[in-house]
Amino acid sequence: MSIDTTHPTHRIGAIQGSGPVVWERIEALLHRVIKPGRYVGGEYNSVHKAWDATDLHICLAFPDLYDLGMSNFALMILYDVLNRQPDLLAHRTYLPAPDMIAAMREAGLPLYALESYQPVSTFDILAISTAYEQLYANSLELMDLAGIPIRSANRDVTTPLVIGGGHGTFNPEPIADFFDVFVIGEAEDAILELTGTFQTTRHTSRDEQLRALAQIPGLYVPRFYTPVYAVGGGISDLTVADPALPTTIEKRLMPALPATPVAQLVPNVSTVHNRAIIEIHRGCTRGCRFCQAGAVTRPIRERPVDEIVASAEAVVQQTGYEELALLSLSSADHTGIDTLIRQLIDQFEGRHVSISLPSLHIDSFSVELAEMLSGGRHSGFTFAPEAGSDAMRHRINKDISTEALLSVAEEVFARGWRTIKLYFMIGLPAETDEDMEAIIELSHQVRQIGNRIGGRKAEVHVSVSTFVPKPDTVFQWEPLVDEETVERRQRILKQGIRGRGLKLSWNAYSATKLETLLTRGDRRLGALVERAWQLGARFDAWDEWCNQDAWNQAIAELPSEELRAAFPSARALLDHQLYRRRQPDERLPWDHLQTGVEKRFLLQDYRRSLSGELLTDCREECHACGILHHYRDLQTEEWRCPVLS
Amino acid sequence: MSSPVVMPTIAAGSGRHRITFATSRTLAYLSVLELGKVWERTLRRGGVPLKYSQGFNPRPRMHFAAPLPVGCGCSADLLDLSLDEPRTSKALCDAIAGVMPQNLVVLDIAPVDIHARSLSELLQEAEYSVWLQQTGEAELAETVAAFLKKDEILMPKRGRKYRGRFYDLRPLVKSLTLEPATPLPWLGLRVRVMARPGATGRPDELLRALGLADRPRRSTRTRLILDGEGPPPEAVADGD
Repeated sequence: MSIDTTHPTHRIGAIQGSGPVVWERIEALLHRVIKPGRYVGGEYNSVHKAWDATDLHICLAFPDLYDLGMSNFALMILYDVLNRQPDLLAHRTYLPAPDMIAAMREAGLPLYALESYQPVSTFDILAISTAYEQLYANSLELMDLAGIPIRSANRDVTTPLVIGGGHGTFNPEPIADFFDVFVIGEAEDAILELTGTFQTTRHTSRDEQLRALAQIPGLYVPRFYTPVYAVGGGISDLTVADPALPTTIEKRLMPALPATPVAQLVPNVSTVHNRAIIEIHRGCTRGCRFCQAGAVTRPIRERPVDEIVASAEAVVQQTGYEELALLSLSSADHTGIDTLIRQLIDQFEGRHVSISLPSLHIDSFSVELAEMLSGGRHSGFTFAPEAGSDAMRHRINKDISTEALLSVAEEVFARGWRTIKLYFMIGLPAETDEDMEAIIELSHQVRQIGNRIGGRKAEVHVSVSTFVPKPDTVFQWEPLVDEETVERRQRILKQGIRGRGLKLSWNAYSATKLETLLTRGDRRLGALVERAWQLGARFDAWDEWCNQDAWNQAIAELPSEELRAAFPSARALLDHQLYRRRQPDERLPWDHLQTGVEKRFLLQDYRRSLSGELLTDCREECHACGILHHYRDLQTEEWRCPVLS
Repeated sequence: MSSPVVMPTIAAGSGRHRITFATSRTLAYLSVLELGKVWERTLRRGGVPLKYSQGFNPRPRMHFAAPLPVGCGCSADLLDLSLDEPRTSKALCDAIAGVMPQNLVVLDIAPVDIHARSLSELLQEAEYSVWLQQTGEAELAETVAAFLKKDEILMPKRGRKYRGRFYDLRPLVKSLTLEPATPLPWLGLRVRVMARPGATGRPDELLRALGLADRPRRSTRTRLILDGEGPPPEAVADGD
């Protein structure tokens, strides 16, 4: 491993005296790599402020390929928020693909930001998206490629402050040793408070600086919080280093949605979602019991229709995009969606701009919306029933009956779609092999409807993933289903879902296992993440690059004193972290990080799940999840919580 | 940001225009589809009323003379576009002047007769300049001389469906010379290749044939030669 050791000399409190990477050094590698356009920047609307004219430099990083990172809307928002500040500058970087990483290491070229080609190590702050678990090993690779020590304890004021944010931070414990600060919850305001405090404390030591940052609501500085482990492997307590620090950190919440970034970055090379985005609402009121996004983004806040329409025009004019996506967890739930779609269709009539709604519910209203937007093109229609039977859907609080689903499928085929995609999960709580039969039957029923209406061209694509119990959800206490069961159930599905017009896809158990381990892991797993990365684990989201052997070996090694003291074997570690039902009164690794949805509510709803009881959409009646109690002061007209007496 | 050349106004405007443009650096690393997208978005930002094809998946009626290889910029490439409503070339220039991406420069916009032959039909040859690093001058001169002496250079065809099949690169290379005035540490090659459907020479293929595919390089297509443009201005080096 050869990292450029000619790092610029840093001065305490200010990183100076460093120039950008010379273009020719980058250019000299580009003929050797696939899709070199990822590594050169130059996107329309990228912000090029003068390095020396700004006081604070922050690098926003997405630790996976450019193709994915450019589609990450959270980073786009922060790029906009930060660059609006006259005294600071935000640039971007992504993790290069393995071919470019190898070329850069060989040439001694450090990771650089795309706007300025400034080495990432010369920024004051490196903000890494920790949106999901497959980014964890990549975050270490990114820091290392930048020439930054991966452990927080090994960094000081001469290295960038490394912060993390995104849904993964609702339990960041497995990566807590590598980050200096996590922003818990929505970062639009918190990031500016962070940069403000950073500027006033840059002449102090890193430890003092972190102490100041830890006082900001929603900022979690893991080094000041130390878990205490109990005999048997669990967590008995959490010690806080300083009585002045809060014992729990409540997530940050924007009272109303922040203004839509209008001058959105337009990539030159193709990316996963290459389109303009407007977030039409944030949060979800459906209450699916497995869904972390729905739980951690409460309450639902809706952007007014007029504002969306005005932004849509401005975004399209300033980007030239031919597609505009209306982003939310459940698009059709926006109270003004019908008016909104009609206005947008009118507005872009004849201008070759298409509108897309990424997440739709299974009802005829959604089919109507999709029809309005299709422009006569009917490629594929996606349903996510998640489970095959009504009983299981009740357990997970997915309020759609088989009968209703089939009638919507009928409508979809009747309107000219030829393909329906069905998303299911297996390994759900209290699932049996009979539930597989329900998935098979439902798939065949949908296919038969397709054949009846659309003839032999009708297709049903069934996609089956394995349930991962996530922190802060109703199912956070659930064990992960074991490998043998998953393989048996996948076999049943493979035998049952075949024949003309049926396609089945599923995901590998190894990926599910890794995600579950990291999403609910405690801080001791940091040693495991580091070891797996040393052994070559990275790009865990990519079939062609993920390195399962590295993870397996790291687990087998129990690579720290702490792990070896707690767990007599790798098996014991996995049993403890994955396969055991957690106790309701047990201290969970993420208990000190609070979403506003209370544990009390999650437990109540867990009991409702056991008895197959549905919980209504909470826009209709408040189920007292805790959000209104904790964030009442922030409530605005945009909230769709019911008014409480 | 570029400052396009101002064109003389044609009173009525035209429904078809030919843009001469240059790309470099960041925009040299795109596929032809990606460069098309860059143009489409630039024109949409400028409010240019592009004509679209019919059908369920309408595409803008924009046609490059020839795709640029990934990693190759251009100093005078051509793009034809059809409009829904006639515009003068000057109006087009003005429309996109403020919305151009970095490293895309418009050199000329001129009206074209609606019925004129398409650029791909007109294109005959293309000229590239390829600068190499980590290459010795003597080595390069020798390699080039050896290449030019050969009558036939069989190269594997690109793409899965042609696996195992070969084509002769040699007749596609019309001339190949060393560029004398290349600044250090670069060494320059100038190559003119055929660029007709089914007979297109590519600079990356040439480097492979020369055994120089691993050298860092900067490539630019310097000129497109269309049918009816008269004989090439330079003598053909290898005399065939």
